[in-house]
Amino acid sequence: MIGNTMRMAALVAVATLGLSAAVHAQGKFVFANNSGYDNLDPHAVFDVGRAASRINFYDGLYRWVDNPPKQIPWLALSHTVSPDGLVWTFKLREGVKFHDGTEMTSEDVVYTMERMLAMNRGPSPLFSPLILPGTTKAVDKYTVQFHLKEPSAVFLSTVTEIQVVNAKLVKKNEKNGDWGQEWLSKNVASTGSYMLRRYDPAVGFVGARFKDHFAGWGPKYFEEIEFRAVLETNTRVLGLIKGDFHGTDGYLPQDQVERLRKEPGVQILEEESMRVFYFALHNNRPPLNNVHFRRALSYAFDYDGFINDVLKGAVSRNAGPVPNNLWGTPKDLKGYTFDLEKAKAELALVKEPLRPIVIGALAGFSESEQSAALLQNALRKIGVEVKIESSPWPVISSNMQKEDKMYDMVPLWKSTYYADPNNWVGELYGKRYWAIRNSSYYFNPEVDKRLEAALKTSDHEERKKLYEEATRMVVDDAAGIFVYNTKWYGPYSAKVGGIRFSPVGSGQEMRWAYFK
Amino acid sequence: MRRLELILSRLAWFIPTLVGLTVIIFTVSHIIPTDPVRILAGENATAEQIEALRVELGYDKPLPVQLLSYFRDVATGNLGVSIYTKRSIAETMWHRLPATLELTFAAIFLSVVFGIPLGVLSALRRNSLFDHCLRVVTVSGLAVASFWLAMELQFLFSMKLAIAPLNGRIAGFGPDEVTGFMIVDSLIAGDLPMLGLVLSHLALPAVTLALPAAATIVRFTRAGVLDVINSSFVLYARAMGIPWSLIVWKYVLRNALISTVTQIGLIFGVLLSGAVVIETVFDWPGLGAYAVNSILQSDYKSIMGFTLWTGAMFVIVNLLVDILHTLIDPRSNR
Repeated sequence: MIGNTMRMAALVAVATLGLSAAVHAQGKFVFANNSGYDNLDPHAVFDVGRAASRINFYDGLYRWVDNPPKQIPWLALSHTVSPDGLVWTFKLREGVKFHDGTEMTSEDVVYTMERMLAMNRGPSPLFSPLILPGTTKAVDKYTVQFHLKEPSAVFLSTVTEIQVVNAKLVKKNEKNGDWGQEWLSKNVASTGSYMLRRYDPAVGFVGARFKDHFAGWGPKYFEEIEFRAVLETNTRVLGLIKGDFHGTDGYLPQDQVERLRKEPGVQILEEESMRVFYFALHNNRPPLNNVHFRRALSYAFDYDGFINDVLKGAVSRNAGPVPNNLWGTPKDLKGYTFDLEKAKAELALVKEPLRPIVIGALAGFSESEQSAALLQNALRKIGVEVKIESSPWPVISSNMQKEDKMYDMVPLWKSTYYADPNNWVGELYGKRYWAIRNSSYYFNPEVDKRLEAALKTSDHEERKKLYEEATRMVVDDAAGIFVYNTKWYGPYSAKVGGIRFSPVGSGQEMRWAYFK
Repeated sequence: MRRLELILSRLAWFIPTLVGLTVIIFTVSHIIPTDPVRILAGENATAEQIEALRVELGYDKPLPVQLLSYFRDVATGNLGVSIYTKRSIAETMWHRLPATLELTFAAIFLSVVFGIPLGVLSALRRNSLFDHCLRVVTVSGLAVASFWLAMELQFLFSMKLAIAPLNGRIAGFGPDEVTGFMIVDSLIAGDLPMLGLVLSHLALPAVTLALPAAATIVRFTRAGVLDVINSSFVLYARAMGIPWSLIVWKYVLRNALISTVTQIGLIFGVLLSGAVVIETVFDWPGLGAYAVNSILQSDYKSIMGFTLWTGAMFVIVNLLVDILHTLIDPRSNR
């Protein structure tokens, strides 16, 4: 049944894309990125900052497109699942060519999975809890089978990250059993839309259209794409205004977005993304292990002031951990409002002695630091002292993964790694992700029961109900302070059309874009 | 004779200096409360996966063992492999070195060519309007934050006047790499338009770096010339009827340059170790930008590699400055 659905989706996708084999060059697109491309290996990197090299050079079994994101068939045309939910069989597209002209087969997919599991980097942790090395099988040339250790409703959402490499080519370049890591860090061995033309880790990369890509090309798409690392925000913005770049990252500070809006040669594309800003609270340390204290914190944050005054209304209020624009968040979820009287009332119910609270703010991320200062100011009014410790992200993230080192609170974002509520409420508050992504050290058996059940059933309506219930409980427990869902303001040259934003990849897949 | 002794004594201190530096940097980088293995393993990694990676990278061993093993590698010219890119750190730094060298040479060239003559003129016209104006400019050059100056220059010359490129070493990728120095590679390729582009990209970052350097050189040259100009040998030379310009530019300047040369050496050392802020603002793909990235990623080995390089550069530059002193002032060679 699922297989048929995906087959239909394949036809629709190809029809709507209107892809043809016609090739007409349309210039070079230059993108200024806010982080460097120091590694091109799709199995070594897995972050939003370096998404462009992964999605433009490589193809996954399925593909996330549009907003809200939907999966379309890509290297695989369809799949079926065994009744026990353990065996997933994918039918691959025939005749897909690697950049060196050889054909992609199921053996390449098997090698890809084994490589990811062995390397244990980048996207590997999505699969390593579910798939044992050596269990992925090539049933025939175009059929591949994954054997899961336990049923997983989110496995399908993650197959986009099975970005297939050319097994023969990579094997040829392996050194001392390194799975070709050293070689693939600066080379590309894929079927993807663009072929690597030039690469300098200090500069960026240039990709040229792969004419034989299985999806074909329309008449107007870019002949070449160039992604450059331009770390300084001001330089990226000035470069876009000047016309040196045709696009830059979509999460610029709001004052820069406003500056760009005034420029006639620049367009700002707006989309509600899936990137929730929240305070991770240490739920397992006094006094934050007391629900009344946590509720007092939630009532003490000035949501409207932060969203409307500090961020100039550039984001939308998100009362729970799951983005509003995704299923799994209750439509009538109210959440908390800024009310210091209620905060005081909740605080009065806390019997244990209070102590100064430490907020670990992300240095260099103004919203994180500003929100911490805002909360500090409000809490002082109700008698709670707050100390803010600003540190760079590597320090904060390292501390968050140790229960004894986790700060009392950390204001940060949760981005989209796959478009499923488990990416948010599941990973942030499920016991199985304790100390990995559940840095709140939160455990509620009732919430966990629902999150675990939602991982094991493939019934969408049932999963939706379970995530909505879990979300309500998490919000009622005030397990975090949930503030807003980010909007993506994609700054592009006015000449660029066809940008297809998806929260997964942040609109950096260039095969759909063109110069008007 | 004295020169040879000086070189030998400086070289004798070279290795102990670097060893001391390595121990300090190694210790400091391991005190920072962050765990690169956790970061490298990714947000989804389990405790077992993190520990497995720790063993693979050798981070599970006691710190003295890690330090000894690092020394062993460095002794063979191996600075290790970046934990992020899995690429050789020495190779990466070698690849980025020409960008930093090209920028450094350009900045030093500009600061010396303008700084020394202006310093001399300023001393000769002491307390004149020219001297006062130059003092304002040089004090400003030293006081202004380099990132601010860089942005203002970008705004004026790139955005308003549109006569200079905004950032980068070249728009995208440059000429085919032979030496890594784009000026030289453009000449080898016989590509003069490319050479023009390379020089135009070099202009703003080089000027930004040269301004505070030139200001220092002007001040030191001025002070040196004023100090020497009242010496009895100058009076004697004038009495002998030697032309004033010859006295100033040959005899006075040579004696006045000793402290200026020391300053040029220090500036050169700082720039060679990567002008961190300027390389970041102008996206100059040199060692400074590499250091920033490594620090942001807590890439210990890269940070240590960069620091060793910086230390080595300062030791070498100091040695060269000392040798230069003996050349400028033969008395110091006795």
